[in-house]
Amino acid sequence: MTRRFRATPYLFLFPAVALIGVFVVYPIVAVIYYSFTDYDIVRPPVWIGLGNYAKVFADKTFWLALTHSLIYLVVTPILITLSIGLAIVVNRKLRGITIYRALYFVPAVSGSIAIGLSWRFLFDRTGFINSILQSLGIIHEPIQWLATPSLVLPIAMLLTIWAGIGYYSVIFLAGLQNIPEELYDAARIDGCNDLQKHWHVSLPGLRPQIVFVGVISSLAALKVFDEIYVLTNKTGGILDSGVTMVFYLWRQAFQLQHAGYAAAIAIVLLALTLVFSMVNVRLLERQDADR
Amino acid sequence: MKLKRTLTMALATSLLFVACNSAASPSPSSAPPSTPPASTAPASAGTSSAPASVAPSALPVDPAEAVIPNVEANAEITFWTFYLSPTFDQYIKDTIARFEGTYPGVKVTWADHQATFQDDLKNAFAAGNAPDVINLSVSEGWVSDYATKNLLLNLDDKVPQAVKDIYFPGLWKEQLVDGKNYQFPWYQGLNIELINKRLFEKAGLDPANFPKTIDGIPDLCKTLKEKASTVCDIRLTVNDLISQMVYEGNVKPISDDGKTFTFDSPEAVAWLQTYVDMVKAGTVDNTALTTTDDRTGLLLFSAGQAPFYATGPNLIRDVKANNAQLYADLATAPAPLGKSNVTGKGLMSISVKADTKFPNASMALAQFFTNPRSMVAFAKQVSIYPSSPEAFKDPFFSSAPAAIEDSARPLAGGIIATYADIVPTIPKKADVNQIVLKAIESALFGDNPVPAQQALTDAVKQANELIK
Repeated sequence: MTRRFRATPYLFLFPAVALIGVFVVYPIVAVIYYSFTDYDIVRPPVWIGLGNYAKVFADKTFWLALTHSLIYLVVTPILITLSIGLAIVVNRKLRGITIYRALYFVPAVSGSIAIGLSWRFLFDRTGFINSILQSLGIIHEPIQWLATPSLVLPIAMLLTIWAGIGYYSVIFLAGLQNIPEELYDAARIDGCNDLQKHWHVSLPGLRPQIVFVGVISSLAALKVFDEIYVLTNKTGGILDSGVTMVFYLWRQAFQLQHAGYAAAIAIVLLALTLVFSMVNVRLLERQDADR
Repeated sequence: MKLKRTLTMALATSLLFVACNSAASPSPSSAPPSTPPASTAPASAGTSSAPASVAPSALPVDPAEAVIPNVEANAEITFWTFYLSPTFDQYIKDTIARFEGTYPGVKVTWADHQATFQDDLKNAFAAGNAPDVINLSVSEGWVSDYATKNLLLNLDDKVPQAVKDIYFPGLWKEQLVDGKNYQFPWYQGLNIELINKRLFEKAGLDPANFPKTIDGIPDLCKTLKEKASTVCDIRLTVNDLISQMVYEGNVKPISDDGKTFTFDSPEAVAWLQTYVDMVKAGTVDNTALTTTDDRTGLLLFSAGQAPFYATGPNLIRDVKANNAQLYADLATAPAPLGKSNVTGKGLMSISVKADTKFPNASMALAQFFTNPRSMVAFAKQVSIYPSSPEAFKDPFFSSAPAAIEDSARPLAGGIIATYADIVPTIPKKADVNQIVLKAIESALFGDNPVPAQQALTDAVKQANELIK
């Protein structure tokens, strides 16, 4: 029996394949190609081989940006801890708890640029925080928060945590609500107090969510851009104090017009994120094997 | 049920708040520009073709304005402006209509681009569909940026001498690349200081005695901090620091043969040391000092939180719109002179794309917008100034100013006549500027600031490596 070629399935596949080809595959291939060229966006690219990669590894600012991006990963455990804590709090059957749940979720549905601008106003020399501190007599002269190199990255990280906590806590809340109540009853009968109950029942029960949140929040931390762009007003902070990998990539491509060099940075970033994705896959595989 | 309703209400309110908040906040792509254009119209880019006929209020067609010969028949050209729509839509449409009447057969399509102007233009050049005629900022060095990449038309070889002579010589010759000019000088600004009289009075200072040279600024800021508890709102031109060094510190940035950077000279160190001392004394706002966004300082000033701010009189209307109380308490003073003794350089220009199909029609449009007649009409709408001596002969410029934003009008012609671009061509300018910025920041900030001399010497070494 001969198999007849049928075009219909391919016709159905075509729109998706075409879209992925144009908006995903082609840009990736183009970035790989540009990473081997000297390209300033307005003139045709010139092939320079591995020149950009050699430059990347000798570039002090690149290493500083990489360090900042790795430091930024600190937000991941903090986010997980605070989000689980918040999920446990809002998982109680209290009066009006749904309102709190909705309020905590507001930053997740707000634009990152809008949030960033609000935070910039908070931390301005004449902003809300300095006004409060001055009126309480804690400081006499306003602190130039965002013009102090050692404070830029912590403020950006704080913003990421504040904006992400509501979103991730919803994921943990869903996980908590899937944990059978009998397990808590058993723990109580065994003499566990509230803290022990969560340590021995909630945390193991939330393991899939912890892995998921850990991976996606660390990938997001590695790719952080909006917070730095807005808080530092496109400068990356004094002495590059807030420059992260993606911000540096953007600066090279669009401020300095070194699109070829920026493409090489993008490929290095891609390699890093691939490592995180592989860790993700391994963790999920191990989790499946444990079941 | 009740809870569900409450939750729905809360969510709805939150979403409404978020929606309003997002709408009111500019996205990165609509962030304000780094250069203060004459127009501050907060509008999105608009595209429009010129109207078929001139509006009743528009100037009549005058064949004497046709000064560019051999304009191509039936040319269709595109024109991009920077931040002029919608405030000046009518003026631009009227001028285009008059141009089309003056050069029959030529059709112009106009588009105004705003915060994304530079990105749009680079992408358009990359895609091969850049506009024929382009409004470029001279003050931000855009003309030399594009001209050094051979993207603009060399006007010196194509424009008749009689047309070149229409403009102030200093403006025609500014931003030369390899000795050639690539722009028609368009509207100009005056450098003035906006002064918050209340803060000055609190510090016991008289705005009339504002320093005439930049040497007086550190002492002024010290007094303001001590007596009015405020810090100065000064901005380093972070996109073009070499230029600032040249005008303020009379620094020679590069050797005559253009092969060695020299911005670590005693003049350069003295210039940087002035800022180092002010940062150390805590008399300047560090955020405003190093921002790429010129509007940061203007917003601080408009909010009444800064004692003075250097800008153009055209931006007084921002203060008027944002803070009527401050507008009533506003004084102005000429911007203090730097050690170069040059008052300033041009603001905006119009260039022509190098590979345009219609070079003569494009030059004709660029020239038409910058000619004295068009410029006088423009100056009557907003506090900008023409680029030609002839335009200043119009009685409008000798009439008594009614508002503070026009107070410099009678003196403008004399000041603009002295404008000159004294900064030589800097190879790899953006990269060199980045090196200089980092050097300056390392001298100004951090727990262990680098001495000014060392910071600049290191920067010169790095910059020289770039042009080896």
